[in-house]
Amino acid sequence: MIDDAAARHAIFAARNSDNIGSIANMPILWILAVAVFAVIIVQSVIYFVAVKRNAAGADMSQAEVNRSFRAGAVAAIGPSLAVVLVSIALLPLFGTPPVLVRVGLIGSAATEVASASIAAGTMGAQLGDASYTQDVFLVALFAMSLSGAGWMLGTLILTPVLTKGSDKLSRVNPALMAIVPSSALLAAFATLTVTEIPKSMVHIAALLASAAAMAVCLSIAKAFSVSWLREWALGIAIVAGLGCAYVAHSAGLGAA
Amino acid sequence: MLHTPQVWGQREGGAVTFTAEQDRIHGAYTRATNRWGMVTLFVGFLLATSLPFILYVTTGIHPTIGQIVTAFVAVAAVYGAFYVLEPITYFPILGPAGMYQAFMIGNISNKLLPSAIVAQSTIKAVPGTRKAAYSSTAAICGAALVHVASMLILVGIFGTVIVSITPPAITEVARLYILPSILGGVLVQLIATLKQVRATVIAIAVALLIVLVVVPHSPKIVSSFATALAVFVTVGLTWAFRSRGGKPDETGDSALIN
Repeated sequence: MIDDAAARHAIFAARNSDNIGSIANMPILWILAVAVFAVIIVQSVIYFVAVKRNAAGADMSQAEVNRSFRAGAVAAIGPSLAVVLVSIALLPLFGTPPVLVRVGLIGSAATEVASASIAAGTMGAQLGDASYTQDVFLVALFAMSLSGAGWMLGTLILTPVLTKGSDKLSRVNPALMAIVPSSALLAAFATLTVTEIPKSMVHIAALLASAAAMAVCLSIAKAFSVSWLREWALGIAIVAGLGCAYVAHSAGLGAA
Repeated sequence: MLHTPQVWGQREGGAVTFTAEQDRIHGAYTRATNRWGMVTLFVGFLLATSLPFILYVTTGIHPTIGQIVTAFVAVAAVYGAFYVLEPITYFPILGPAGMYQAFMIGNISNKLLPSAIVAQSTIKAVPGTRKAAYSSTAAICGAALVHVASMLILVGIFGTVIVSITPPAITEVARLYILPSILGGVLVQLIATLKQVRATVIAIAVALLIVLVVVPHSPKIVSSFATALAVFVTVGLTWAFRSRGGKPDETGDSALIN
């Protein structure tokens, strides 16, 4: 493998030349991130008022409205903390405001990392290493944002159409539509995972540790019906992967 | 799974009938949530999409339009189908009001739908009824509050602190190896969730072939679209080798990613 001194040199060179943090944490981006969350809050308030005001139209009491709100909030705590854990791990790659906007809105952590990785690949670069320059960062951010916009535009355009034609929709054969997204998803993540293998022994160690931790979590969750473990599994897997990578990297197995 | 019950109240529960006054009130609810749902999602769309454009204008970093378009095309080749398929697939579960909430916040299958179903069972609302739809909307409002609070406080404030107090060596390891640390777990979770042996075997075989055999022996341009190529080949092979006759493969909502 590549010798440790060369690897360290490459890492420090990367840190000096590709200062992502200086552009990713600009004040205007913080304002944008806060505005995005404000929109979510405004929407939720409007919706909650609509439910409260019109509850009688569904034979629903005010107490039931409040209990539904509370149950939804409590149920979201576990998944939210898991998402937080993953988001914090992404901060060094993208900076805080982009992570808040991308993961806080339509995106999920896994989708955003995959998108950014694909985008960087088109420039012959890889996330996190010396080839990850400011140009690559911005191109990746464009690709993530435009892809997220695709989801939102799809929803904005399709929801009114589907509302009108929802009866017809039920007649559509779901079997064909079911094959495409699931196999596309498997192929995408299989390819992204296999791409990590030739990089270094540390990458392989991180992959295997993460996969093993996930398998253990899912097995325990299934065997003992521990449903919260499913939500936490990815966070635990990431910690396992990075922990293993740290040990392997310190042992000099890394390639920068 | 496909068996997920409707939660948005398209079908009214058999025994329940509503008065004309209740129908009028429900109509007001539907109009309010649809109108404001669309408006707020559109604003969210504008804000989120403006992020890279702001950076492009305010910094000296100017990648070429060609680089941006190429990167987006490569990403859209993988996810483009989902822009259409996800709204269509979630619509029967969420209904119009829930659609505007869910596609604003994301994390639909791992956060919002579980919250909605927990709330409905808490007040014993029968999925598919009008009451269940209202309960679902209120629950997603609660989930949205927790979502925003957790992101702003734990990621926005504490996240920066955590990263800033972390020794550089650890930050470097996190930066270098975050991708395999996520992908190993995600792939296992995906395989376990989808339970599609045939598609999984095909996908992994195609990925190994393309990444380890095709890409190293091809012009550099091929590596740019390795993922898209793998997706295309895998979808084609999975369709060609699908089980014919009998029941379709067990698939469904779990294939959705946001």
